[in-house]
Amino acid sequence: MASEHVAQVVPRSMSIARLPMSLLQVPATMIVFAGVTVLFANSFWLSAATAAVALSLSVVGLAILYGQLGLVSLCQFALVGVGGWVALRVGHAFHPPFEISLLAGGIVASIVGLVFGIPALRLRGLYLALVTLMLAGAFQIVISAWGFPDGGPGFLGRADGSGRAMLPRPDLAQGAVAYFVYVCVAATVGLMIAQWHKLAKPGRAWALIRKGETVAISSGVSVLVFKAWAFALSGFLAGLSGALLADNVGQLDGRAFGAFESLNLFALAIVGGVYNWYGALIAGLLLRALPALLTDLGIDGYVTIGIFGVALFHALATAPAGIAGQIAGIVARVRIRIMGGRAP
Amino acid sequence: MIAIDNLVVQFGGVKPINQLTATLTAPVAGLIGPNGAGKTTLLNVLSGFVRPVQGSVALNGNGLLEMTPLQRVRAGLRRSFQTEQVVEDLTVADNLAAIADHIVPSPQRAEAVDRALAFIGLRPVADKLGQSLNLFQRRLVELGKCVIGKPSLILLDEPAAGLTDEEGGALRELVLRIPTEFSAQVLVIDHDVELIRAMCSETMVLDYGKLLALGPTETVLADPDVRRAYLGEL
Ligand SMILES: Nc1ncnc2c1ncn2[C@@H]1O[C@H](COP(=O)(O)OP(=O)(O)OP(=O)(O)O)[C@@H](O)[C@H]1O
Ligand SMILES: [Mg+2]
Repeated sequence: MASEHVAQVVPRSMSIARLPMSLLQVPATMIVFAGVTVLFANSFWLSAATAAVALSLSVVGLAILYGQLGLVSLCQFALVGVGGWVALRVGHAFHPPFEISLLAGGIVASIVGLVFGIPALRLRGLYLALVTLMLAGAFQIVISAWGFPDGGPGFLGRADGSGRAMLPRPDLAQGAVAYFVYVCVAATVGLMIAQWHKLAKPGRAWALIRKGETVAISSGVSVLVFKAWAFALSGFLAGLSGALLADNVGQLDGRAFGAFESLNLFALAIVGGVYNWYGALIAGLLLRALPALLTDLGIDGYVTIGIFGVALFHALATAPAGIAGQIAGIVARVRIRIMGGRAP
Repeated sequence: MIAIDNLVVQFGGVKPINQLTATLTAPVAGLIGPNGAGKTTLLNVLSGFVRPVQGSVALNGNGLLEMTPLQRVRAGLRRSFQTEQVVEDLTVADNLAAIADHIVPSPQRAEAVDRALAFIGLRPVADKLGQSLNLFQRRLVELGKCVIGKPSLILLDEPAAGLTDEEGGALRELVLRIPTEFSAQVLVIDHDVELIRAMCSETMVLDYGKLLALGPTETVLADPDVRRAYLGEL
């Protein structure tokens, strides 16, 4: 009797121990990725890879909204802009350690993301997409009028012509390689926070909401709280992304934050895959490394839009879990084949 | 004890529940009636997803209708759905944890999940994903969710639908253990009269929103009105 009891308890304790184990996939993969990039990339590629990794944080936020809750938010790149704006503003005004500016960008974008998400508490599907796209359009208008702070006076912090300043890189990451590693570390932390959410209590609550709000409420889930939390988290990750992008070159260009960029980000999130964390990294690379590759080959950058369009069509038609989902499928099949040799 | 008094539910022109007054005291009570009789609607009123236009409902003396659906869950109300609602990409243990997260204090959560797993006998598949479960296992997971926390009233909407006789029998044995092991009252909807007969000491029959009969199951099932309206006898 006693031994039977022990044997029965084992699966339960295993599933609890598995939580941190599967989280370790994130740093393990990021270390390999960062190592390979540092070994092989020249300065042009390093800058593109830095931007790609930074952007992957904003994509993982979208992946939570869409992959976990089925919510289509088309203003994520605007939130990247908000994070970048705040980080630059705080950085130029108070010259704190960059980590402070980074967190400030994340927190303010999180609050703005929460406000942008309010319509989502009532709207779904197409209506939510339209409202968030309009918010992205509004941000486009504001940011092209304001521009990003560059060391000038006043609230907007704009310097006219002379006296323009770059935001200095973090003390411990002055060089291009060091800053790339810095961004990889920050992104790893952000990706792990997101992944923990998916595997723990918030992820289970989101899964129930996805199943149906009646089902979720019957399980004691406060639907409003967990939806709002998803928007705040997604905004936070977008804000970090914006701050890291801002410090890559020390400034941001207001013209780069049009509403189209938010649409593009959403499309690429789907192509990369919203159900596996590394889909965000793939999307980031597609967004920044693919154009860099084409530039390197002397092909016009606009071709990427066509490529993205075809990739999106492919994903929607045949691979709803994106490239990451296809990779996960291959890994699972290989694992079954290896295990299959040992099975009875 | 569930005390329903003069309850009226209206959807546009139809009244799926019409001036219903009934008191259910049995540890496991049954609710039967033809399709569209208003059974699920009554469960929705009890769990708070449908607002009646009139009447009152009390659970063990406390007014239910004043509470939000969420407050009712925290007060111990549990329900399953006519179509099972197991989350496909969560494990069995996580499907149970998903409810424990919100109604069991964190130090006792793992224990509550484990107790439910042991009750439904799904410990061996605790780490299997919902999508890999068969219908019987899914119905068991739904039952397991209902016993988590401190349930006071468990509402089961056709918990044995689609199961074989053998599986339905196993489910019945579990339901019968609930009142003593979890000190909760159970209200079961089912079309299978034999299952109701074996499980419920008290049964209520609804017919197009009206109370047709209520009392000890054997008496109710022998009632000529019930046999005519529900069992299709002339
Ligand atoms: N939300 C709603 N809006 C309008 N009418 C509804 C709604 N829900 C249920 N009804 C109607 O109320 C009546 C009772 O439905 P209910 O689902 O309670 O029946 P039931 O007894 O559970 O039937 P079944 O045995 O088929 O599950 C039906 O005529 C149904 O069409
Ligand atoms: Mg029904």
